[in-house]
Amino acid sequence: MVDLEKLKTAARETVSRDDVKYLIGWRQGTYGFRVSPHFVKEPEEAEKLIFSPLCTNNLATYLVLTERLPLPRGEQPDSRKVALMVKGCDSRAVVQQLIEQGIKRESVLIIGCPCEGVIDLKKVEEKFPHLPGPAQARWSNGNIVFHLPDGDKEVPKGEVLAAKCLSCRYPNPVMTDLMLWEEVQTRGNDEYDDITELEAKSPQERWLFWEDKFSSCIRCYSCRNVCPMCYCEDCVLDRLNPAWVFRSNNISENTAFHLARAFHLAGRCIECGECERVCPVGIPLMKLNRKLAKEVKEKYEYIPGLDPESKPLQSSYRPDDKEDFIL
Amino acid sequence: MDTKKLSKDKFGDFMAILSRQKKLYVPQKEGESLRFAPVTAGSQPDLAFPNTTVPPKSVLFPQTETLYQFEQGNTDMSLPGEGEERVLFGVRPCDARAMAIVDSLFSWDVDDPYYLTRREQTTLLGLSCLEPGTNCFCTSVGGGPASTEGLDMLLTDLGEAFLLQTVTEKGEKIIQSVPELLEEATAEDLKAAEKLSQEAAVRIARGIDTDGIPEKLPGLWENPLWKDFSESCLGCGICTFLCPTCHCFDIQDEMEGFEGRRCRMWDSCMFSEYTLHASGHNPRPSRHERTRNRVNHKYSYFVKNFGTIACVGCGRCINLCPVNIDILNILSQVVKEAI
Repeated sequence: MVDLEKLKTAARETVSRDDVKYLIGWRQGTYGFRVSPHFVKEPEEAEKLIFSPLCTNNLATYLVLTERLPLPRGEQPDSRKVALMVKGCDSRAVVQQLIEQGIKRESVLIIGCPCEGVIDLKKVEEKFPHLPGPAQARWSNGNIVFHLPDGDKEVPKGEVLAAKCLSCRYPNPVMTDLMLWEEVQTRGNDEYDDITELEAKSPQERWLFWEDKFSSCIRCYSCRNVCPMCYCEDCVLDRLNPAWVFRSNNISENTAFHLARAFHLAGRCIECGECERVCPVGIPLMKLNRKLAKEVKEKYEYIPGLDPESKPLQSSYRPDDKEDFIL
Repeated sequence: MDTKKLSKDKFGDFMAILSRQKKLYVPQKEGESLRFAPVTAGSQPDLAFPNTTVPPKSVLFPQTETLYQFEQGNTDMSLPGEGEERVLFGVRPCDARAMAIVDSLFSWDVDDPYYLTRREQTTLLGLSCLEPGTNCFCTSVGGGPASTEGLDMLLTDLGEAFLLQTVTEKGEKIIQSVPELLEEATAEDLKAAEKLSQEAAVRIARGIDTDGIPEKLPGLWENPLWKDFSESCLGCGICTFLCPTCHCFDIQDEMEGFEGRRCRMWDSCMFSEYTLHASGHNPRPSRHERTRNRVNHKYSYFVKNFGTIACVGCGRCINLCPVNIDILNILSQVVKEAI
């Protein structure tokens, strides 16, 4: 059960520590069921923290999105820890960043929030449109209760949960420094049912499907920027000399971008679904990511983001790796 | 100018005639997004929206446009064709105002032939916004659900019929080309349309008093608010690419084999390489400087250069921001801050 007081107390204590720079959690957004990441630097700012079915953002992105600006001569970088509130899926991103040595273990303090599933905002806004004022929601006996101006509305989870949550295998953070409340029961069993329909299509049909999706891409790169696993300091997409992917928006360049994005996530994507959530034109990116995740699981028996001591997929060659798919 | 009425059972004929006269663009679903696209056989206009996902600026100022093509080792250039007459149906008043605002930029010190030619070739048929979206605030920045600025004709859905109000000669021409489909509009029709748009304006729930903001912004340059609001910024291009008044572009030479093209494409001040110098120096090295620029450009620099706020209150940047960075929230903080 979510215990907000415990969460706020833990946050206050955490940011009071000398070795903590700030804590990142969630707070109520400016309107409707929106939520905003909340950076807590002073103990009193912890009051605004929330944890509810609206807390979709995977905050692990901010561990690697930090801007490292050149420092004035003689000044030392701030090496204090960042405290991070994580759901189960988010914690896998932190673990994968540790596996890849993208972050250092001593630089992060992981505060675990066992999670009963977060909403798909599109589904919720369809049900309850036009809420100019901030509105909240909470879990309640397998349902989600939405607090609306004209009273509470209880909705079965299945109708409003994000797709990733319906087949979630890791609702509890897989690694924490502090677990805020008791663990929740794992929901669902992931058989990758959501991609079987696409897998059954012919290559021609699949190409038509993706051609349609990629041609609506506006190349805003929100999927790349929100991804906790996209943290190259020098991204191939930003290069101009040589330009590996042209800036032109056309089906050829857009496809090159999406292939590069997807392949760089093979064996690394922890399926938090953030890329698909933020896409302003609704490209079903998780279908690509999950196809790759399924292949990686079946061919190499590898699941990323679980064991910080393990090796990344690409550097974990075993002589008995399957080779039946190599031409 | 002129006012007419178009019965809804003649709407199909009206659209068919328009599409024969010029290339007709209407809002259409593309996957999950809504954008202006040419009418083809079987395409359905989707008019039940507060706003399209991609603003109609994408027709006049396409995301990518080829300026000319060339071949390696050959000094000849081939220029793109003349373009064609277009008509956009279903443009919201806010998006049309955005074009009126951007017009002054593209005809400033140097005329931009690409944009201005297309603007000249395009007729904008607006649709009064009777169901404003959650984050619409056009009434705060000089617009309204039935604003005609930038439009050639405004249509208002009266239920059984559309009221047509022409604004420019281009709009007049459209009316003159379909006399058999139109009826005279009565004083009651005009009154009904006005009532509908007034009711819509009342339903706009969000807003900001912009008085004094342009004058105040320069004094808040070093204010901590920019860091506070941009802390969660991902640095993506949603707020700028989908803004109807954002008009920044990049120019690139793209070679494929021996053939090349010089093209220009949307650029975003929220990207780090937007201001990256060849030396490696970046005068806007972090996201807070970029957020500050985005707000200052719309609410301060543009006002100084052109006398108008370069924001039409369409709400797209608020609706689509993945981390809820809300320009109204930023502006209300600007109002609160003491210089």
